[in-house]
Amino acid sequence: MNPVEKAARDSNVEKCVQCGKCTAGCPSGRQSRLRTRTLVQMAYQGQDVTGLPELWDCTTCYNCAERCPKGVNTVDAIILLRNLAVQKGNFPRIHLSAIENLYNTGNGFPLSPEVAQIRAIIGLKKEPYDVSTAPEELEKVKKILDITGFLELVRGGTT
Amino acid sequence: MKLSLFPGCIAKNMYASIEKSTRFVFDKLGVELVDHRYTCCPAPGVFRGYDIDTWLALGGRNLAEAEKDGLNVLTICNGCYGSLHGSNHILQENPEKREEINEVLEQVGKRYNGGVEVLHFADVLSTMHETILEQKELDLGLRLAVHYGCHYLRPSEHHESLNVENPHIVEDILELVGCEPVDFKNKLSCCGAGGGVWSGDEEVALSVLEEKLAFMSEGNPDAILNICPFCHLQFDQGQKKLQKFNIPVLHLNQVLGMAFGERPKKLAIHTHLVSTREIEKKVKGLKKKG
Ligand code: SF4
Ligand code: SF4
Repeated sequence: MNPVEKAARDSNVEKCVQCGKCTAGCPSGRQSRLRTRTLVQMAYQGQDVTGLPELWDCTTCYNCAERCPKGVNTVDAIILLRNLAVQKGNFPRIHLSAIENLYNTGNGFPLSPEVAQIRAIIGLKKEPYDVSTAPEELEKVKKILDITGFLELVRGGTT
Repeated sequence: MKLSLFPGCIAKNMYASIEKSTRFVFDKLGVELVDHRYTCCPAPGVFRGYDIDTWLALGGRNLAEAEKDGLNVLTICNGCYGSLHGSNHILQENPEKREEINEVLEQVGKRYNGGVEVLHFADVLSTMHETILEQKELDLGLRLAVHYGCHYLRPSEHHESLNVENPHIVEDILELVGCEPVDFKNKLSCCGAGGGVWSGDEEVALSVLEEKLAFMSEGNPDAILNICPFCHLQFDQGQKKLQKFNIPVLHLNQVLGMAFGERPKKLAIHTHLVSTREIEKKVKGLKKKG
């Protein structure tokens, strides 16, 4: 079983009857190349879909999974396929800054000096009480990310 | 009641007005909010999409912080709710996975035993109607287009108490403070920002948003009402990017804050991109009860 077939099986993809309800209710598909039904079919056939850019156009709204009459976990499938794409180094680099932010501050969106100012003016702690202001805890977060190999994973690859 | 506040990156670092309003409102309601050293939830679209195990490990670390103090977690963002509720579900239901994640957490002296409940603030508010009425000082009289947002409603199997086909829990709260919900087509649809699309494919994110805004604007609401800072950001920044529409955007806690008598300026709703002046004017002109 190749990894795509495994991801497909873990998400019940074999139960799909190709009714197309997922595609019909997909808000992203109306604006992008994402075709959920086709993606499910290709994954079921074990085709390597990890290189398809539209894999990253799913907003994870769960409309498809809710509407599927057969209980296919379409969103789980898409997330698993994204994980595989990342392992192959085949993913949009545009998210790397959010990932670096996570590693360096613990937050996907870090605090800007402007918002720090607003926080102080409206009576919030200027520096939020989180890991970004607690060096010892931040080190632990970095260690967790080092153990799971997250940075190595996203810094690898070629595309 | 005492809960651990999980403010989330956006309310904390971008729309501080939402964090401010949350603290004001829950203080009025007599709920004590405790702070913990949290990280990003981490975001379910980007980070889970990159590596499920990393997402679970950081989610588990966050949950472990609250568990140490025996507290449940209060989220004020659908993304945080979806992410933490989702990782909690896996860590509670799947002991093998939990042990695997705990092997990582134990290397930094932490452990999660599955003892925390992740709450969405709208669900908590829905149990406090009487206290909300007691604290209300103003009937705001605002006409609001309610946006629920995907990760509050779905996956529905994770949210059994909710009528996901036709939810009215937010409308019920708004009616307590004299606001009128304005219906629109495809009300429960996506704002277009989730799944990493907001940062990954702006064109798609904005087209989904534009369709939604067109339906919302038909009813001519005073503002768009949301229960998620990420949807909030998408509506507020998105209208500027589209250079179209001009509908103020309000998080439910901002509305309650004003209804509980706090001045809009003190809640800093004027720090939004889409002007909130009309809202501020309207609220200023109202008479407090008593
Ligand atoms: S809705 Fe379900 S059964 Fe129908 S095509 Fe999509 S995945 Fe297959
Ligand atoms: S979860 Fe993704 S694939 Fe499914 S309907 Fe929403 S955007 Fe489309």
